[in-house]
Amino acid sequence: MHFEKRRANAKTEIPTASMPDIIFMLLLFFMVTTTMRETEVLVNFKLPEAKAIEKIENKRLISYIWVGKDRRMQINDSIIKLDEIQNIMYAKRQALPEVIVSLRVDQSIDMGLVTDIQQALRKAYCLRLNYSAMIKV
Amino acid sequence: MIKKKKIPEASIPTASMADIAFLLLIFFLVATVIDVDTGLSLTLPEYVPPEEQVEVKIDPDRMAAVLVNENGDVLIDGNIVPIFQIKDLLKGRIASKNNLPKNKKMIISLKTDRNTVYNVYIAALDQIKLAYFEVRDEYSNGKYGKKYSDLNEEQQNDVREVVPMIISIAEPESIKK
Repeated sequence: MHFEKRRANAKTEIPTASMPDIIFMLLLFFMVTTTMRETEVLVNFKLPEAKAIEKIENKRLISYIWVGKDRRMQINDSIIKLDEIQNIMYAKRQALPEVIVSLRVDQSIDMGLVTDIQQALRKAYCLRLNYSAMIKV
Repeated sequence: MIKKKKIPEASIPTASMADIAFLLLIFFLVATVIDVDTGLSLTLPEYVPPEEQVEVKIDPDRMAAVLVNENGDVLIDGNIVPIFQIKDLLKGRIASKNNLPKNKKMIISLKTDRNTVYNVYIAALDQIKLAYFEVRDEYSNGKYGKKYSDLNEEQQNDVREVVPMIISIAEPESIKK
């Protein structure tokens, strides 16, 4: 039996002229969505895990407090002492009343320190709190 | 008259444009960090100076006290329970208050020692929150036939009204001194 090769006569070529435009579009998208990491984390920490996790809807409102394994605390770009938290956070709250404080605390820290930070936050009227945690699977 | 010289057509080679764009694209792809902030949210109570504090009596039936000591042992209303059972123990008690008025809803108080490890505290808080989430899911499943997260805002508010999340983070004893 003889099979005839069936092939379309039309030219099969993908037009590549618009390729740069497509790529530029993608590029622009990524350029707009990219947020460069502004602060360098100076402390070493491992977050705890939890299941009942919520996403923070508004990233602009978040202000971080890091607490490392060695109990050092960091706000913004600098290591701070416990008694400085109240003033720093009070200033932050005045600049942004609905600030959410995200506590990125190492999982081996004792609650005493966490409670002290919370007390400082209460005195600074930063009442919206978020314990940063990883999703447990 | 001077003869006009024929000007050769000036053009920028655009063949490599795609390559340049690709290079930039790859750079931004690599540099992008899409990290979502996830965690357990909570609202702290306002700070009241010790001399202005008033004690409010709460019906013990409304209250579930979860105590976590420094060894990570959990005590609910006087009984020692494993940490992963907190959820199941509290779920029934939360759900039983669904039909009661606002001021009779369950309050869960979580209290830790100053030496309790943060990880255990988060695990306990996680269990309590899970209990509330599951009760909310069950209620919304019964009423709307959907999960809580799939409801619209109005319905979510309704469910939140019926199952309010009241978690009290008690201060460790030594702080009150």
